[in-house]
Amino acid sequence: MTPGLAVFLVRRLLAGVLFVFVVSLSALTLASLSPGDATAELAIAGADAETLAAARARLGLDRSPAEQVAAWVAGLSHFDMGQSSRFGRPVSTLVFERALQTGRLAALALLLATAIGLPLGILTGSRPGGGLAGVVAPVSVALVSVPPLVGALGLLLLAATTGWLSVAQGALGVPTLALALPIAAMLERLQSQATREAMAAPDLVAAAARGVPAHRLVWRHAARQSLRPVLGIYGLVIGGLFSGSLAVEFVTSWPGLGRLMYDALVARDLPLIAGCALCGAVLIALGNAVADVMRAVVDPRARSAS
Amino acid sequence: MKGSPLKIVVLLLVLVVGISVYFASDRPADSRNSLRSNEKAEFGGALVATYRSEPAGYNSLVSIQAAVDVVRLLTQESLVRVNRATGQLEPRLAGEWTPSADGLTWTLHLREGVRFSDGTPFTSADVVFTFQALYDPAVASEVAGNFEVDGKALVVAAPDAETVTITFPAPYGPGLAILDGLPMLPAHVLGPALASGTFRDAWRAGTPASSVVGLGPFMLVEHRSGERLRFERNDHFWNVDDDGQKLPYLDAIELRVFPEQNAEILQLESGAADIVSDAIRPEDIPALTRRAEAGALQIVNAGISPDADGLWFNLVPDAAATASRPWLATTAFRRALSMAVDRQAIVDTVYLGEAVALFGPVTPGYGDWYVADLPKPPHDLAAARALLAEAGLSDADGDGMLDDASGAPARFSILTQAGHTIRQRTASVVQEELRKVGLSVDIESADPQTLVGRFGRGQYDTIYFGFQAGTIDPVGLGAFWMSSGPLHVWNPGQASPETSWEARIDDLFNQQATTLDRAERIRLFAEAQRLFATELPMIHFAAPRVTIAMNGRVGGARPSVLLPPVLWNAEQLFVATGAPGAPGR
Repeated sequence: MTPGLAVFLVRRLLAGVLFVFVVSLSALTLASLSPGDATAELAIAGADAETLAAARARLGLDRSPAEQVAAWVAGLSHFDMGQSSRFGRPVSTLVFERALQTGRLAALALLLATAIGLPLGILTGSRPGGGLAGVVAPVSVALVSVPPLVGALGLLLLAATTGWLSVAQGALGVPTLALALPIAAMLERLQSQATREAMAAPDLVAAAARGVPAHRLVWRHAARQSLRPVLGIYGLVIGGLFSGSLAVEFVTSWPGLGRLMYDALVARDLPLIAGCALCGAVLIALGNAVADVMRAVVDPRARSAS
Repeated sequence: MKGSPLKIVVLLLVLVVGISVYFASDRPADSRNSLRSNEKAEFGGALVATYRSEPAGYNSLVSIQAAVDVVRLLTQESLVRVNRATGQLEPRLAGEWTPSADGLTWTLHLREGVRFSDGTPFTSADVVFTFQALYDPAVASEVAGNFEVDGKALVVAAPDAETVTITFPAPYGPGLAILDGLPMLPAHVLGPALASGTFRDAWRAGTPASSVVGLGPFMLVEHRSGERLRFERNDHFWNVDDDGQKLPYLDAIELRVFPEQNAEILQLESGAADIVSDAIRPEDIPALTRRAEAGALQIVNAGISPDADGLWFNLVPDAAATASRPWLATTAFRRALSMAVDRQAIVDTVYLGEAVALFGPVTPGYGDWYVADLPKPPHDLAAARALLAEAGLSDADGDGMLDDASGAPARFSILTQAGHTIRQRTASVVQEELRKVGLSVDIESADPQTLVGRFGRGQYDTIYFGFQAGTIDPVGLGAFWMSSGPLHVWNPGQASPETSWEARIDDLFNQQATTLDRAERIRLFAEAQRLFATELPMIHFAAPRVTIAMNGRVGGARPSVLLPPVLWNAEQLFVATGAPGAPGR
């Protein structure tokens, strides 16, 4: 590892830690300041003031928001993220279990998106005026602009009416496709553009003039050159996967981090909100770091720019 | 990158094919096309039910979560129960009982040979233990108040292993029905936790399922957070069917967690689930009825719901809402609103006809307790305008909308629950109806936590919301009817009644709760309802019908208007194997 790369990595690590800390604290602070708390269900059930006060004291809600945040930070210093009032279990256990589920979904979605988006992008970029590009481009633009929630609902409807995909609990088809299709479309657009530019580069034009076969030009040379700019987008893609999973997991009942965050917000489960925010921020920071490192490895200019 | 991109593309294509095969394996079995068989019960098989939340624990003494109550119904048993289909008190662990001459002490004789799911015999010591835990201040049970009379605990004693005496601190109208819903817990399992002060944590979610011991028809065997809970037949369950065969009929029940109602319905339609957690929405009825006509589903009308939403006013003295708009707190204004809103329009447009018009908080779902001849103010815009004038509102500037005495527009807000389509649509209809008499209404939507928070701080003009009944007997409604109650929503938690009519309702309610003669109780409660209908601190518009949809293969169901509508009777449920396409899962 070169000294430049080491400095770059240390900077990225510190920025990542700061990002995670700010996101978690912001989520906890905002949630504790919002009206209502985790005892609402008890209040709606008709609990008297004494019972409500006891429940608030038990959950630590009788303290000021600042004290609650301080207590959470103190707990975090020895890796204790508290107890979920909604689920009755340690936040760390819940978050870990659900992050694995989201990770499974996200990894599959990313693989699928890559497997569809990159080859299609190379094909459409190498023949910009071809029939395939004419069909794929508008579909990609439409998919990129569809929010994950709408996409998931549409796929559920399709699955329910046609039976092509299972709607049973734990079925991966609908949630994976709902997450993967917009990303595949985005990758296709980027790869297509990058391939077009690579094909127009002087070295490839010269190679074509020397009689190098078209498929070799496209799949060996243009594809290799065009992958570099596309790699840089993977950090954003990973972030998008986790934000998109919140809506997709809720609609498709996938037991992941996004649904856990939704449940935590609905129940005003403060430790769980903070835990989910922390975990999500860690995953996004890691995704960004991996993408930055990949870029830095293949392009030294990225290190100095950072 | 090393290697040929062409090879990478080939690999990616292989990956796509692989993933497609993986998805294909997710496909469900062919959708069922079963017909409801006759009610001849058969043993074996499993049913799948959906639920919109999951329990935070398995001990209903320390939780009011609806999901915890479902776990209780499946895994625990009470001394007696109120049959949710018939409303009758039924013997359960207590096979018979006798009251004392003054009606204050009941002697209950426990069934012989009853065992917990781990094989340990159930005795009166377990009953005494349960009440100890219930009333222990260190446990701080959220449900203890449900099992108190006049704010005082019942006194429980065990003269011998098969006998229990329960003494009420005061006469109590419903008698032993108070014990409905109180599970008898295993002293041999939870005793150490109570002694060490860890009772609340003993059966939290995540506790090994094997430690959750009960007397109910099923045992918890697995809880996968966010996914499902699996219950299997308790071979030690005490009850038998009419032929003397040991219940339950089913080998297992699986409770799958689907937080979203559309997803639940989809599960039902696809045949992946047999039972859903709640009544179906009016808009789902036509499509599900078509499926029922094809034989795949059963649709059952369980009756009128006891739960009706209502519009209540902020009548807390010195509330900010009424400081500058005193007309908001007048009876004339509330009566005007009641006359200005066309209840039938709400029944037809919001509930799509699946409701009945309602003029008080007690719906026909309460049976004998419902007063059919309550005053029913007609939908009369002219009379409503006259009442609004009486409240001090007139169209001073001739713009067609009313103003108060200071010339300020007569405007107020309705706070309701975001995401609850029935409540939001009703609020919209009310807004439109009131515009016709010159009132401007703003609708604010908030999630339940925010709504409760604003309610607690008095930061609202009016709220359109509803509460869930846990019982059909009005004695369970004290939190709403009594002026000191936390759900006396228009002015909760009064130290002493602040109006004469509230004092009278308190008196009537207390009398009906402590009167042993049921007919007299009905008369007293009816008088309270009439007084309520005159003062109208809360206006009710409609009570929904409870329509239950189930898979055609579900046998033995006796749908109830109370939640959970089907699983309350889990021991009697069975798989109608005679129906086509009814394999076990």
